[in-house]
Amino acid sequence: MNAIQFDKVSKKFRKGKKLLLKEALLDMFKPEKTEVFWALKDVSFEVKKGETLGIIGPNGSGKSTILKLIAGVMDPEEGRVVTYGRIAPLIELGAGFHPELSGRENIFLNGSILGLKNSEIEKQYMNIVKFAELEDFIDTPVKHYSSGMYMRLGFSIAVHTDPDILLVDEILAVGDTNFQKKCMTVMQSFKKRQTAIVYVSHDLDTIANFCDEVLYLKNGKPVFKGDPQKAISKYLNENPQQ
Amino acid sequence: MKYKDLLIELVKREIKARYKQSILGYAWVILVPLLNLIVLTVVFSYFIKIPSGGTPYVIFLFTGLVPWTFTANSISVATQSVISNTSLITKIYLPREIFPIATILAKMVDFLLTCLVLVVLLIVFGVSFKLTMLFVPVIFFFHFLLILGISFFLSAANVFFRDVENVIGVFLTIWMYVTPVLYPQELIPHAFVPFFNLNPMMPIINSYRNTILYGTMPAWPSFVYAVVFSVVVFVLGYKFFKNRARYFADVI
Repeated sequence: MNAIQFDKVSKKFRKGKKLLLKEALLDMFKPEKTEVFWALKDVSFEVKKGETLGIIGPNGSGKSTILKLIAGVMDPEEGRVVTYGRIAPLIELGAGFHPELSGRENIFLNGSILGLKNSEIEKQYMNIVKFAELEDFIDTPVKHYSSGMYMRLGFSIAVHTDPDILLVDEILAVGDTNFQKKCMTVMQSFKKRQTAIVYVSHDLDTIANFCDEVLYLKNGKPVFKGDPQKAISKYLNENPQQ
Repeated sequence: MKYKDLLIELVKREIKARYKQSILGYAWVILVPLLNLIVLTVVFSYFIKIPSGGTPYVIFLFTGLVPWTFTANSISVATQSVISNTSLITKIYLPREIFPIATILAKMVDFLLTCLVLVVLLIVFGVSFKLTMLFVPVIFFFHFLLILGISFFLSAANVFFRDVENVIGVFLTIWMYVTPVLYPQELIPHAFVPFFNLNPMMPIINSYRNTILYGTMPAWPSFVYAVVFSVVVFVLGYKFFKNRARYFADVI
């Protein structure tokens, strides 16, 4: 069964957004329209349950835009994006944290942002704290947390939401080795639990080991999709500096 | 109602976070309007004597000041509510209208607490209970819709034009002076009355005073105008917000 379906998806941005009222008003009288920039052009793929799709490509190739389209924070200009089930974005962990609130309060806040009911959070509460290894600091405002603690808490909440789709963007690059190992273990267990994972990274080794399929993007266009090794060698051929 | 728990959590965040790291904490919610009340009462009943009919000026003022403060605080904070949640808006799908709604609900909690102070003041000054007071929730309902509608417009517009948040402070100050908060409606010069009548906050503030202080029902024509105005602004504001929300993540 499909968890994510991308059907000829295109996404454009306007170059040089008109953020000033004056410019916007003047713009209305200009005959030529603002120049547009296609962040994604005609991208189609699907991710089945339990499948992991890796996305590689140089900076600015549209990788993060794909994640945003899956998460539903952006709408495509053309084509269709369909997703099934609960989505947990492991992007910028702890995005919804409030620095003045304690770890405990942030668990409830962030859990509900990720779509959990209060009762579900209460059930998972101890697991979240334990997994994040924050038993002693859970009543401290998170502004006093180290960046590692901050991330562990964000990660722990996200993985305890029992998602159907997991979006991962470069998070493993930030933590220490210990944390990275822990993340990998969790992601492996998600794979077993039939969670669909979309994994964006520049770390080609992990991509090769972890993904079932890899999509190689360049300037918003899909260059190759399929076997991870083939995708990576194609990518390395075209971008030798990597 | 899938988002009920989230809404509650967001309201709690607004309330809890605001007064952390302050000694008096949430007491500020009551102290600030009280201090305002004292200053304004001294200025406008001792230095400049504004007539307030048979009612003591302090009571006259507070019945108008409490709902006005709710209006001004809600609108100024709600205007920022979308952009101050940028990190969420670009990462996770949530119905975006939840941000202005949560902000205003948090301000409504403040409002209810200051209402308690108002009740105490009313008792102290010997204002007796009147049946017309039961109409206050109806006034509040449309007052709330008006605030919500305006906040939808401004918070969405602010994503595209940050000018909104700069101009809103001035706008709210002007709005307060053209609304009979500090003075009774009778002081408005006759020639200006038709213009003042366009302001939906005037009948709302007047209706609060009528029902709470004078035991009379709202002046219907102007109150009905405020009701229609509020409902229209709410519906249009919500539509505008929904329409713009699709582009928030693109421009924010």
